[in-house]
Amino acid sequence: MSKPDTAAQARCWEKMRRPSPELLRGLRGGALAAARDAGPDRYDALLAGLRRERVDRPVVFVGAGTCGLGAGAARTLEAIRRWLAERAVSAEVVEVGCIGLCSEEPIVDIQLPGRTRLSFGGITADRVPDLLEQVMGGTVPAEIVLGQFPDPQGLLQPWDDVARLDEHPFMARQRRVVLVNSGIIDPGRIEEYVARGGYSALAEVLASRTPEQVCDEVEASGLRGRGGGGFPTGRKWKFARQASGDQKYLICNADEGDPGAFMDRAVCESDPHRLLEGMAIAAYAIGASRGYIYIRAEYPLAIERLRQAIEQARAWGLLGADILGRGFGLEIAIKTGAGAFVCGEETALIHSIEGRRGMPRPRPPFPAARGLFGRPTVINNVETLANLPGILERGAAWFAGMGTAGSKGTKVFAISGMVRRTGLVEIPMGTTLREVVFDIGGGIPGGRRCKAVQIGGPSGGCVPESHLDLPTDYEALKAFGTIMGSGGLVVLDESTCMVDFAKFFMEFIQSESCGKCIPCREGTRRMLEILQAITRPRRREDGPDALERFQGIMQLRELGEMIRATSLCGLGQTAPNPVLSTLQWFRDEYEAHIYDRDCPAGACKELVGAPCQNACPAGTEVWRYVAHIARGEYQEAYRVIREALPFPSVCARVCHHPCERMCRAGSTGGEPIAVRTLKRFVVDRVSPNTYAPEVRPAAPGGPRIAVVGAGPAGLTAAYYLGVAGYAVTVFEREDQAGGMLAGAIPEYRLSRSQLRHEIDRMLVANIELRYSQALGRDFSLDDLLGPMGYRAVFLATGAHHSRRMGVPGEDGLEGVIPGIRFLKEYNLHGRELARGRVGVVGGGNSAIDAARVALRQKRVDSVAVYYRRTQAEMPAYREEIDAAWEENIAIRTLVAPVEVIGRDGRLAGLKLISCRLGEADASGRRQPVPIPGSEHVVELDTLIVAISEQPEVDGLSGLTLRRNGTLVVDPESCATSRPGVFAGGDVVTGPNSVVDAIAAGKRAARMIDNYVSGRLLRSLPKVRLPGVYIEPVQADEEEAGSAARVEPPLLTVSRRRKNFAEVELCISEEQARREARRCLRCDLEFTQPA
Amino acid sequence: MMSDVMRIEVDGREVEARAGETILEVLRREAVHVPTLCHIEGLPPSGACRMCIVELEGAPTLVPSCSYPVAAGMKIRSRSPKVLAARRMIVELLLSSHPDDCLYCGRSGRCDLQTLARDLGVRHRRSRPRGERRERDVSSPSIVRDPDKCVLCGKCVRVCEEVQGVAAIDFVGRGARTQVGCAFESGLNVSSCVNCGQCILVCPTGALSERSCVDEVLEALADPDKVVVVQHAPAVSVTLAEEFGLPPGQDVDGRMVAALRRAGFDRVFDTSFTADLTIMEEGSELAHRIRSGGVLPMLTSCSPGWIKFVEQFYPDFIPNVSTCKSPQQMMGAIIKRFWAQREQVRPQDVVSVSIMPCTAKKFECGREEMGCDHVPDVDYVLTTRELGELLRMHGLDLSRLEPEAADTPFGERTSAGKLFGASGGVMEAAVRTAHWMLTGRELQELEIGPLRGLEGCKELHARIDGLQIGAAVVSGLGNARRLLDQVRGGRKDLHFIEVMTCPGGCVGGGGQPIGADAAAVEARMKALYAIDRDAPVRVSHRNASVKRLYDEFLGEPLGEISHRLLHTHYHRRDVLK
Repeated sequence: MSKPDTAAQARCWEKMRRPSPELLRGLRGGALAAARDAGPDRYDALLAGLRRERVDRPVVFVGAGTCGLGAGAARTLEAIRRWLAERAVSAEVVEVGCIGLCSEEPIVDIQLPGRTRLSFGGITADRVPDLLEQVMGGTVPAEIVLGQFPDPQGLLQPWDDVARLDEHPFMARQRRVVLVNSGIIDPGRIEEYVARGGYSALAEVLASRTPEQVCDEVEASGLRGRGGGGFPTGRKWKFARQASGDQKYLICNADEGDPGAFMDRAVCESDPHRLLEGMAIAAYAIGASRGYIYIRAEYPLAIERLRQAIEQARAWGLLGADILGRGFGLEIAIKTGAGAFVCGEETALIHSIEGRRGMPRPRPPFPAARGLFGRPTVINNVETLANLPGILERGAAWFAGMGTAGSKGTKVFAISGMVRRTGLVEIPMGTTLREVVFDIGGGIPGGRRCKAVQIGGPSGGCVPESHLDLPTDYEALKAFGTIMGSGGLVVLDESTCMVDFAKFFMEFIQSESCGKCIPCREGTRRMLEILQAITRPRRREDGPDALERFQGIMQLRELGEMIRATSLCGLGQTAPNPVLSTLQWFRDEYEAHIYDRDCPAGACKELVGAPCQNACPAGTEVWRYVAHIARGEYQEAYRVIREALPFPSVCARVCHHPCERMCRAGSTGGEPIAVRTLKRFVVDRVSPNTYAPEVRPAAPGGPRIAVVGAGPAGLTAAYYLGVAGYAVTVFEREDQAGGMLAGAIPEYRLSRSQLRHEIDRMLVANIELRYSQALGRDFSLDDLLGPMGYRAVFLATGAHHSRRMGVPGEDGLEGVIPGIRFLKEYNLHGRELARGRVGVVGGGNSAIDAARVALRQKRVDSVAVYYRRTQAEMPAYREEIDAAWEENIAIRTLVAPVEVIGRDGRLAGLKLISCRLGEADASGRRQPVPIPGSEHVVELDTLIVAISEQPEVDGLSGLTLRRNGTLVVDPESCATSRPGVFAGGDVVTGPNSVVDAIAAGKRAARMIDNYVSGRLLRSLPKVRLPGVYIEPVQADEEEAGSAARVEPPLLTVSRRRKNFAEVELCISEEQARREARRCLRCDLEFTQPA
Repeated sequence: MMSDVMRIEVDGREVEARAGETILEVLRREAVHVPTLCHIEGLPPSGACRMCIVELEGAPTLVPSCSYPVAAGMKIRSRSPKVLAARRMIVELLLSSHPDDCLYCGRSGRCDLQTLARDLGVRHRRSRPRGERRERDVSSPSIVRDPDKCVLCGKCVRVCEEVQGVAAIDFVGRGARTQVGCAFESGLNVSSCVNCGQCILVCPTGALSERSCVDEVLEALADPDKVVVVQHAPAVSVTLAEEFGLPPGQDVDGRMVAALRRAGFDRVFDTSFTADLTIMEEGSELAHRIRSGGVLPMLTSCSPGWIKFVEQFYPDFIPNVSTCKSPQQMMGAIIKRFWAQREQVRPQDVVSVSIMPCTAKKFECGREEMGCDHVPDVDYVLTTRELGELLRMHGLDLSRLEPEAADTPFGERTSAGKLFGASGGVMEAAVRTAHWMLTGRELQELEIGPLRGLEGCKELHARIDGLQIGAAVVSGLGNARRLLDQVRGGRKDLHFIEVMTCPGGCVGGGGQPIGADAAAVEARMKALYAIDRDAPVRVSHRNASVKRLYDEFLGEPLGEISHRLLHTHYHRRDVLK
């Protein structure tokens, strides 16, 4: 696929042309005709003024298209006029259309006499006085300037230090043929269009070409219909030209209906004469004397601009009878439609113009043979027609020089959705979607990842992120299973649920289907019903409804393919596409909805309930305790937390808070609620005695359960089993409990006394804890289930084995320490193994922990972390990386170790190689690619290897393991391959978060209970919705305005650098209540006052 | 260039096709059964139901055979697994939003959807209809609409607009909420619906049906205090047989009379009698208009759908419409005002029932003009279909009954009156009598070829006794529209125009048995012609009972009593159009 050549890149706008002599001669009225007659000087002066090559007084241009007006351009205009009037500044104010950068609207351009035109973004009325003050005074406010217009003739003085607008990242890759005048000229003045070469192509065509030649030229250019289908325009014309009929019609289809697509509107509003000229050329070519513009009534501004343009063109002799004296006549009428999506389908559109209900009819016969009022008719879309002046003026070869083998020219796209810059872009065909999203659109805001791009609106399909290198080419897109469509391009990020997204389109189709043919009407309804069943909870999840849901996926595909094969019109034939393509690329999301009753993106409200609760692996009712905090009911808050988590204060300190990532306050433009900080506030304030579990006494001689490993997973399982009345024995290898919480997490993050207290309280009456008992050393699984008499075993031995780097020199050198060993030696036994210059290899939490612990050890001079990707790809928690960085730990990225260098049996240094990021791998992360010859050595005294951890396999023999040593369990029941043996936590998942381990322990306890009681080892997925109503607290007015997230106070760097005092501190009550009141209370959607 | 005849391949077999034909036409000729729900012979294809899809080699989708033109060398698979799977799924989709009440549905056994589900072997469906029922429209005296049973094939909409030129109904709403309805979602009764019932005939399901009076009639029959008198229209005796599974075109006149008596009707009269009477009155009116320079052309008034049509769409033609009541209403008036008096029964104790091929008659008998002192001349109208139902309910098997004669005096008819049942029949009977009235001589050749047959528009230009007479016959209101527009446009050569609402006349009426195609309607028509051919008395003015009625009661045509009982006037009607 050809990339845009550099020359074109530097010049996204086509060169301005002068009106041709041919045109000038033929004009029957208007300013140019008058100037023509008044002589060359007058003519040249007029032209220069119209082309803004010369302005006598300041000109202020305001983007006043529908997008601009929506952003407040009307008030901006008013403010500009007021400012000018108050200061008695003589300036011209011009309303222009849309330049395409809609996210920067309202856009205001200012051109001072003799200077180039400047463009500014986001000029709401309140910013007007400041802007005008500065610019009129000759200074440019740098933070809001978008750029200055290029001045190819070099007549004007450019502004210093202001980038050129055509080099703006949004513009640089564009090639503006259709949009060449958009947002630049005054659409209300035909003079400006003509002065820039408008209507010259028409004049030339009428004067010197036969209609057949025009058809040939257009066919040779390779122009294809821009409305969606991509039918070769020249060929369509020839069919109509050859069809017999006393009257032929040309229809411009401006019934743009795709959600999020508005390029036709922009052309009609910003450059209406380009469309009229295109229509005149097309009508001449096919032999039509009447033309219609079919446009939806929802586009009042576009209709107004077109009306005005038609009037002006008639007055100048460019429409009506005998155009330019060449004997060809064309009348154009505007027909407004009620805005039905199906009326974009050509036969339905024809019915609508004929005054009937917009319903399609079967083709053949095609409109080119029998169309409007039974006569041969050509229907072209706005963008198609707007391409014609360029093609006829510069020739087929010029046009065919842009684009790909089968798709010529440019295409206008409307970018919307989760992307930084939204708006209209015109790019050469063949530009990849990745370029459009990331280079032009600026990528995804908020640090989220791009998930997919929906192209082609409701008729199109989605392209997953991994395939964004797909070129914008009719055939390539079709082969991929989507369509070019009219150019709607919606960017989706991780917060979009693909099932919900497909459902949106199905709802759209259901409300827009004309209802005529059965597959489209009934089939899409059925599809919608299935999607609704998938995304909604049912009273009973195991009844026939569930069966219906399970059939869903199979039936969706079958139905979709039938609808595609049998529907009457294009709307129906393409209606299943959004479902089929999301099903193809995101089947896992469908399955999560169906089998797990979960929406991974957190978007399907009815499944998710409160997103915070849904996101918590342990199912904590986050919304509920936050609501209690807001009301000052801290004890209730504590109970809610404790109900779900046996480790409240641990979680209040070290939880990676997935709840905050899904918090709706954060996904709707603001910042998420600081949930962990609030939890910390509660656990620090409320006595743990507030919650006393009711423990059922263990029956003498009742079933006994063994738990191996006293980490968070093991202790949680033991706790819940103990409470349920089982006699539990916990075997711990170390001489203290806590697992990784004690061994790996440094004390500055989690105070040891807190941890000990928490564990002590968990050890309820039925639990016995035995220390220094290691599986495989002191006892075996056979012992537990045999002579020792346990009915079931829960393995939670964790992942304590640091992986090796696999580079030469790694083994046997003094000073090279596995990460976990390093942490445990310090955390459990107080031994400081690091000294001098310390290097840590790895990018996960244990690497950062090791680095920060090392930094605190007495003999250490400096610490550096080496990671092979960039910081963005580091798996460690963001705040940990930030803290490490603050503490002066060097973080060196894009380096990979290649050799450990030793001297005399002791570590001397580490040889690294620099990397760059290559293609994405299966995990979606971009792979580091070593750069040959970039090897270099850093001198080290201590090297801590903390790449990753895996379980130690001692004592696991007989169980099914993965290659990395983790245990294979049934995810639903935690059961291993050996009956009676269950497992959870890091030994199953590899290194994972505390809250996931707690969740595994809870699930295992439930399943072991099931196992021992002889029940099925299954739990039906259940939708957990908020069920308790808590009266909300009204926020006062002042508060409602300012809603900044509370940040916990941190110990200053100087006070924490060489000690293990807790870094994160607690917030005040006032802060806590204020933060809690920020909560959007998603739960209220599901609860009722009693 | 393409030759007219070409060869195409159908299911691996070469067959002949002609340019301009659709795939469906070829397949049907080749006896390949292709199911359709929305196809109407003679109208442009709509392509809505997708049942007729076939696989066309090289086409990206399945193509609808009803609209797809043949091309030389095309290869078609009409029953490939893909095609069958699609058809079955379409039926399943329809069923998934269809109420489960076949057992209680009037169309059970004659329902296209039922047949398709059976024939295509649809034995289960994966989703059930979701509760919400839509209200039935029972506002019309003639037609009941049940949107829940509608499959939106659009045939009713097209017949109403394209055949009848009425366009009372159209699609309303979008997507799955689309339904067929009147403007502003009003009831049929306030729409421009002319009650012709052609929509019922084309409806593949029970979504459209006549407003049934069977229960009311049963009640009257069971009431010992009521004298129940029944009249039957000329076109009923040649179609009723179809209700009993016999082929179209059989006349069961005498057996029907016997059956009606067994069912409990006290008197059985023949509406053809008043058809003869109508000829006397209408013929006299026409002669009077011609002689006295009255408003011409005169338009017939027997067809109540047509009357409402004129009132709504062509009120300027109301003066042209004959003032004669329709034969049904004439019979009704005579029964209640003359026969009852003679039999010494109070008119309110007489229940006057008529058996009509027509749903608009149900509307007509309730018109204000059609009664006296709030006692309607006709109480209940049963369609041919309802009569079939009533007789089946009584266990009366037509084929096993001995024919009986209708009651005197109004059971006597001529075959001219019987001809009223076919389009052109009124005109033919009128011409026979007009010739006699104008010349005093009987017409030599009674059968008038140009006025016979299924064509929608027939004309006759003849010279009778020096007078150049122009007559036109139209059936189907779309044809009436075109003719009236010509007259509005200044056409002067016509004196008398017969208009029948339904294509083919009453033999194609909206109350006739379901499932008749053009050939069946033609067979019904031919049965009437056969009756005429074999009849002893073939002109209305020779009906002895009619003459006696004039002698004993009416006096003379257009006389004072006639005027009071047999004539009426119509008025402009404003409806939503």
